[in-house]
Amino acid sequence: MTAATDMTSLPAGGMVTRRAPKAGFDRLFRTASFTAALLVLVLLAGIMVSMVVGGWPAFREFGFGFITSTVWDTQNEQYGAWPAIVGTLSTALIALVIGVPLSLGIAVYLTQLAPAWFKKPVSTAIELLAAVPSIIYGMWGLFVFVPLFAQYVQIPVSNVVEGMPILGTVLYSRSPSGLGIFTAGFILAFMIVPFIASITRDMLEQIPSVLRESAYGIGATTWEVVRHVLVPQAGVSIIGAIMLGLGRALGETMAVTFVVGNANRLSASILDPGSTIASRIANEFNEAMGLQLNSLIALGCILFFVTFVVLCIARLLVSRVKRY
Amino acid sequence: MTTSTSASPRELPHVPWGRVRQGRRSADRAMKLIATGFTFCAIFVLFWILGMLVVKGIGGLSLATFTQVTPGPGSEGGGLANAIVGSFVLTFLGIAVATPIGVLAGTWLAEYGRKSQLANLIRFINDILLSAPSILIGLFVYVILVEPFRGYSGWAGGVALGIIAIPVIVRTTEDMLNLVPSPLREAGAALGAPPAVVITSVTWRAAKAGMVTGILLALARIAGETAPLIFTALNNNFWFSPSLVGGVSNLPVTIYQFASAPYENWQQLAWAGSLIITMSILVLSIVARRIVAGGK
Amino acid sequence: MLSTLELSPQTLDAEAPIRIAVKNLDFYYGEHKALKNINLDFRDRHVTALIGPSGCGKSTLLRIFNRIYSLYPEQRAEGEVLLDGRNVISKDVDVNELRSRVGMVFQKPTPFPMSIYDNVAFGIRLYEKPPKSELDDRVEGALRRSALWDEVKDKLKSSGMGLSGGQQQRLCIARTIAQKPEVILFDEPTSALDPISTGKIEDLLEQLKSDFTIVIVTHNMQQAARISQYTAFMYLGEVIEFAPTNTIFMNPAKKQTQDYVTGRFG
Repeated sequence: MTAATDMTSLPAGGMVTRRAPKAGFDRLFRTASFTAALLVLVLLAGIMVSMVVGGWPAFREFGFGFITSTVWDTQNEQYGAWPAIVGTLSTALIALVIGVPLSLGIAVYLTQLAPAWFKKPVSTAIELLAAVPSIIYGMWGLFVFVPLFAQYVQIPVSNVVEGMPILGTVLYSRSPSGLGIFTAGFILAFMIVPFIASITRDMLEQIPSVLRESAYGIGATTWEVVRHVLVPQAGVSIIGAIMLGLGRALGETMAVTFVVGNANRLSASILDPGSTIASRIANEFNEAMGLQLNSLIALGCILFFVTFVVLCIARLLVSRVKRY
Repeated sequence: MTTSTSASPRELPHVPWGRVRQGRRSADRAMKLIATGFTFCAIFVLFWILGMLVVKGIGGLSLATFTQVTPGPGSEGGGLANAIVGSFVLTFLGIAVATPIGVLAGTWLAEYGRKSQLANLIRFINDILLSAPSILIGLFVYVILVEPFRGYSGWAGGVALGIIAIPVIVRTTEDMLNLVPSPLREAGAALGAPPAVVITSVTWRAAKAGMVTGILLALARIAGETAPLIFTALNNNFWFSPSLVGGVSNLPVTIYQFASAPYENWQQLAWAGSLIITMSILVLSIVARRIVAGGK
Repeated sequence: MLSTLELSPQTLDAEAPIRIAVKNLDFYYGEHKALKNINLDFRDRHVTALIGPSGCGKSTLLRIFNRIYSLYPEQRAEGEVLLDGRNVISKDVDVNELRSRVGMVFQKPTPFPMSIYDNVAFGIRLYEKPPKSELDDRVEGALRRSALWDEVKDKLKSSGMGLSGGQQQRLCIARTIAQKPEVILFDEPTSALDPISTGKIEDLLEQLKSDFTIVIVTHNMQQAARISQYTAFMYLGEVIEFAPTNTIFMNPAKKQTQDYVTGRFG
C-alpha cells in the first residue's frame, strides 16, 4: 500500500497509527498447537512406557516363561500369559475368517451391484454397526446368540464329531454352554466388518472408472472384473484394511468378556471357553493386587506391542486411504 | 496371428454366438448372490441388535429410570439417574479435555506441519492411537492417575475418555482444514493478518461444520466406552460426590455389572440402559453424518 | 487449414458389406436426450471416424456399440444397432459376449494389474481354453501386430503398469485384438499420448483395418483425415453429415461441416 492511496482515504493531515501485529498471540498460538501435536506422540510413548513399567515386576519374576507358561494361579502367585495369548490370536483369527469374506462381499455389493438409491442407506447401516458400543455386542452375544448357538450348533456338532480324529478335538465341547472362543470370534467378526468393508469400499471407488470400463469392455463378467482387475488393483490396501480389522479384534474387550467364557485353562477345542488378554484384564483387574496386577499390566504390554505392530503394518498399507 | 486375412472381404466371417461358458455365468451369478446375501446378513445383524434392545429395553423405561438411583444388590425398584448423569459428566469431561488438544494438534498438522517429516510421524502415530485398544488407554490412565493418587475418580475416567477422543478430533480437524481452499488463507494473509489470526478467524470459521462433526463423532465414540472406565471411574450405586473423587457411576459399567447379575430389576435396568445409550449414540452418529453431507 | 491436411490415398470399397447398421437410435442420460435419431452404416474393414465438437455425442454413440453405457443404470438407448443383423442393444444379446466381439480401446491406457503376458491372454482365456503353446502364439501374434513385441518380449512376466504411456496403449490394443473381435472401437486413443506414440498408434490403425472394422472417435481432425475412409460429423447429438473422408474434408455438403473442418468453430 503506498502513502499516496492512504492519503486519499484519510482525513487531511491524519497519520495512520498501525497497531503492531499481535506477534505475541501468533507465537503463543503456534507454540500451543505445536505442543498439542507433540502430545499425540507423548501419549503413545506414555502408554508404551507405563505398560512396560507397570508390567516389569511380572516380567522380572517369570522371565520369558511369562509368555510361554500356561498356569494362571492366583493362589500360588504363578502367572503365565500363554492361554490368553492363544485365546486372543484364535478369536481374532476366527473373526477374520468370518469377517473378511463378509466385508469384501459388502464392499463389492456397495460398489458394483447396489442400485444407486440404495447405496447410501446400506452404507450408513454398515457404518452404524461400528457405532454400536462394544458392550451391546456383548449383551447380544450373551443373551441372544449364545443360547441359539448352544442349542442349534454346539450340541449337534459335538454329537457328530465326538470320537472323530482332529475334528473330535477341535470342534468338541465338553460343556455346550454356547460360550467360548468361537462365539467370541463370531461376535468380533461383525464388529470388524464395518471397518474393513468401508475402507475396501473406498479403495474400490477410487479406482478410475475407465479401468473398470475397459475390463468390462473385454467381455468380462462382474465377478471376473472384480476378481481379476479391481481387487488386484486395490491390492495391498485391502490387506491393510484387513490388518486394521485385526488390530480391532485383538484388543476388543467388552464383547469378548461377555461371551468367551473366561476360562483360565487352555483347551484344544474352539468351542470350549477360553480367555483373551483383554477379557482377562477386564475380569480380574478390580480384584487384583500385587503381582497379579503387575501380571495383568504385563498382559496389556504384550497386547500393546502386538497391536502396535499390526496397526503399523495396516497404516503403511492403507496409507492411501483418507478415512479412519 | 491366425486372424483370417484370407477370407474374402466381401463376406462377413461367421463366428457363431453363444460362446459364454455356462460356468462363467454361474460363477458371476453366485458371486452376486453371495455379495448381496452378505450385505443383507450384516444389515440383519444390525436390526437384530436394535430390535433386541427395543424389545428387552422398552419395558424397563419409566419415569423412575430417570429419577431414581441405581438399586443396591437385592433391593427393589431403582433407576439409572446417577448413571445417566455420571455418563454425561464423564463424556463431557472427556470432550472438554480432548477438544482443545485435538483441535490445536489437527490445526498444527494442517497449517504448520503440513508435509514435514515430524507432521507425517505425528499423523501416523495419531492413526495408530485411533485404532488402539481402549482397554490399554484405561490401563495407562490407571497407572498414571489412579495408582499414584490411590483411588478411582471421575477425573481419571474423563481423562481416559479424552485420550480416546483426541485422535478422532485430530483427524477430522486436519481433514476439514485441508478442505478449506488456500486462496481463502492467502486472502487473509494479504490483509496483513498474522497466521494465527488467519487460522482462528478465517480458516476455522470456514471449516466449522466439519470440525463440529469431528467432535460429535468423538462424543459418539466415547459415550459407549466401557473398558477404560472399569480401571478409572469405576462405578457405584449412589450419587457420586461432586468433586468426582471416588467411583463415579456411569451407564456402560452399570450395564456391564447389572446385565449378568441374578437380580431381575438389575437386568431390566441393564437393558433399559443399553437401549438409551445405543439410541443416543446412533442418533449422534446420524446427525454427525448429516452435517458432513450438508457441508460438502 | 485444409491445405495442411494430408489426406491419405483412400481405398474405398463401396461394395464392402455393412458390419454395423445404426437405425433410428436415440440415447438418454436420465431425462436428457443426448443422441437424436442416428442413422449410420459402418462398412466392414474400413476405418470410420466420428468427429465433432466436445459434447456432440460422438463418444456416447461409440459407447453404445459395446453397450458399455449399460454399466450406468440411468443411461438408456432406444432404436437399433445391428451388428451382422442382430440388434445389440436388445437384452437378448449377451452383453459380455457382445463386448468380446466389439472390442474397445479407451482414451487413457488401462493396463490391468497383472503381467504383460496375462494382460494379453486375459481376454482369450475368458472365452477360449487354448493349449499353452497356442495361447503363447496368440499372445505373441497380438503383441507383434500391435508393434510391441520387440519392446516387451524379454519381460512378458513383468507388470503391464511399468510400461510407458504409449506402450501401455499398444498393450491395450494387443489385448483387444488378441480376442479376435469383429469390430474395434477407439475412443480418442491418442489424446493422452505424446506425438511419437500417437504416430505409432496411427500406423497401427492403418494395419489393423485389413482385419477389423474400426470406429474411432477423435478430437483431432488431421488424425481423422489421415486414417479414416469414412467420417461422420456430429453436432448437438445429431449426425450432420456422413460421407467418405475425402468428401467431408475437401467438399462437404453442409455449411456446418465446412465451418468445423476449416476450424471456424468447435
